[in-house]
Amino acid sequence: GSSTLMYKSHDQDKEYVGFATLPNQVHRKSVKKGFDFTLMVAGESGLGKSTLVNSLFLTDLYKDRKLLNAEERITQTVEITKHTVDIEEKGVKLKLTIVDTPGFGDAVNNTECWKSVADYIDQQFEQYFRDESGLNRKNIQDNRVHCCLYFISPFGHGLRPLDVEFMKALHEKVNIVPVLAKADTLTPGEVKKKKIKIREEIEQYGIKIYQFPDCDSDEDEDFKQQDHELKESIPFAVIGSNTVVEAKGKRVRGRLYPWGIVEVENPAHCDFVKLRNMLVRTHMQDLKDVTRETHYENYRAQCIQSMTRMVVKERNRKYAHAEGREK
Amino acid sequence: MSKTEDVPNMLISDMRTEIPFVRPKPAVPAKPPNVGAPSPSSPFPPQGLGVGGGGISAPPPSAIPVPIGSHGGSHSVGHGIGHSVSHAGSHAAPHSGGHGHGGSHSSSGGSTLLGYIGIDTIIEQMRKKTMKTGFDFNIMVVGHSGLGKSTLVNTLFKSQVSRRSAGWARDEKIPKTVEIKAVSHVIEEGGVKMKLTVVDTPGFGDQINNDNCWEPISKYINEQYEKFLKEEVNITRKKRIPDTRVHCCLYFISPTGHSLRQLDTEFMKRLSHSVNIIPVIAKADTLTIEERQEFKQRVRKELEMSGIEFYPQKEFDDDMEDKSDNDKIREAMPFAVVGSDKEYQVNGKRVLGRKTAWGIVEVENPNHCEFAQLRDFLIRSHLQDLKEVTHNIHYETYRAKRLNENGGLHPISSADTQESNL
Repeated sequence: GSSTLMYKSHDQDKEYVGFATLPNQVHRKSVKKGFDFTLMVAGESGLGKSTLVNSLFLTDLYKDRKLLNAEERITQTVEITKHTVDIEEKGVKLKLTIVDTPGFGDAVNNTECWKSVADYIDQQFEQYFRDESGLNRKNIQDNRVHCCLYFISPFGHGLRPLDVEFMKALHEKVNIVPVLAKADTLTPGEVKKKKIKIREEIEQYGIKIYQFPDCDSDEDEDFKQQDHELKESIPFAVIGSNTVVEAKGKRVRGRLYPWGIVEVENPAHCDFVKLRNMLVRTHMQDLKDVTRETHYENYRAQCIQSMTRMVVKERNRKYAHAEGREK
Repeated sequence: MSKTEDVPNMLISDMRTEIPFVRPKPAVPAKPPNVGAPSPSSPFPPQGLGVGGGGISAPPPSAIPVPIGSHGGSHSVGHGIGHSVSHAGSHAAPHSGGHGHGGSHSSSGGSTLLGYIGIDTIIEQMRKKTMKTGFDFNIMVVGHSGLGKSTLVNTLFKSQVSRRSAGWARDEKIPKTVEIKAVSHVIEEGGVKMKLTVVDTPGFGDQINNDNCWEPISKYINEQYEKFLKEEVNITRKKRIPDTRVHCCLYFISPTGHSLRQLDTEFMKRLSHSVNIIPVIAKADTLTIEERQEFKQRVRKELEMSGIEFYPQKEFDDDMEDKSDNDKIREAMPFAVVGSDKEYQVNGKRVLGRKTAWGIVEVENPNHCEFAQLRDFLIRSHLQDLKEVTHNIHYETYRAKRLNENGGLHPISSADTQESNL
């Protein structure tokens, strides 16, 4: 947990060095610099991805979007689109980039439709790798994808073949956080059953989704409990909304049905709050760290290996060629 | 000949009108024995019906005229025809209309019927026969897994009739290709027996590559037509050809709120000419009322743009009345439905519904979803029409195609008829 930093002045104490203030200094510098975060959303259209993104970050990123009809979408391949928005809250600046994958899973034949998504992720790694190895590293732009929210349809009986293929193609390139979309379609019992089924299938197919770091043994019980609940909530059953409705005298973000009002931020209704807290308030940094330390490093190692192999091959070829000429 | 108890409720006339109560009986008009020869001015030509001249050989016991004064609308079963018969001087009056009162007058109402023939009793005879033999209805459900197809069919017919309930494992694995699974049940209501066959299509649209996944379905539908055709063309035909043809195909649209998917239009385009397709928006409790209206409009527009003629097809409207009824239905389609086999208590009543943390979705509440409309349309008003369109149009199209290719079908060429030649 983030313990509040106590900044005590111990100047009188001769043995006090003072680097306990380091976190504070880092904190201050980062605040000045600002943070960035790249979030990818993937899943077939109509699962509420855009609405959820807008709800999570209280923005209206998709204001001018035009929905294509079935005829228009026939020739669509999977596109990759980027929307960037600068958000500031209490003096902290966040440059948020949302990467969307319109067209995913929409065709009749969706063979390898994840390829453009995988290629995009690799391209960002490649660009970073180049920049990192380059001479001028002052203003490296980090466009690497830190997290991919994968939307699972609530209408299936668990994971569909496309879901499995996508996640397996990407689980070693990006942090996958599965969400159960449009969860207001399901009764509480159905949500529970589906979550269990999906978790079982994820394990069964060997899909490596983002793992929440285990909390330290010295954390307090409350935090441990929260952490445990978080792990049990996967996939997050989410509902998004761009409209405010009146419920019990208060105004809430929600969806108005003839049979009742779904409140997006009510933990009894869905896991929206859990997801938002996880994504923004507790695990944003960890998501970035895992991207840097694991996914990117894997890519880099592979890259270097294949480059080395190519170099060796080329050298051997030249050598053989030269030898051949000598003879 | 028809006994009292057999008179169906629907033939009891309204007592408040002057329409005399008629019982189904043979086509012999009842007349009092004292009626003489028709006057020359009578519009009734002498016919073998026994008018005038007392040509009735043996009036059936039921032809006893009702005494004067009764307006004929006697509610008690078992009286003869209308009142006018008993009046002296009047001719054997036609059963329609309360005329014949007083005086010998000629043409009552200008009807050319000498009396009541009883053609309308055909309805009753058909009804009785239908009740005895029962009828077949075959419904196919198409859509990818998890859209609530089985639950909806169970809810429609208030019975456990889907594949699920026939003992199939609940959450089966998605099959690799589209399978066709038909399950039949006989259900009964009000003395009427229906053999309902639900044809499920697991695997449709579930794969990564769904190219041509409609082919097994198209093949199945044509196979049923072929079966029927072979029977029809046989020399010795069964009295009642078993009808396995698909009368109705419910196509389940996923409630994305955006528009139709490519697979939806591909399927419906290809199959709307060989089977009655009724598109429905599945799991409609995902959409708010506003979203539902927008979605419906978009879907209808797309259906129109793609030239998909769903049932009830405009070109088959018989008359203005049909057209206006069907127009209303077409405007409201596709119906946004919710299915459920669980009951909950709402306002003191037990209703079928889905219970969520924020309320109970009532399946049969028209403010919540359009299930009731779909049910009324499918079962209470258009069930027979679905069968007729299948038989008279889709089947005939198939038959014509078959007969035109390879010089047509011979009864002789059918292998079954070898035995019949013996």
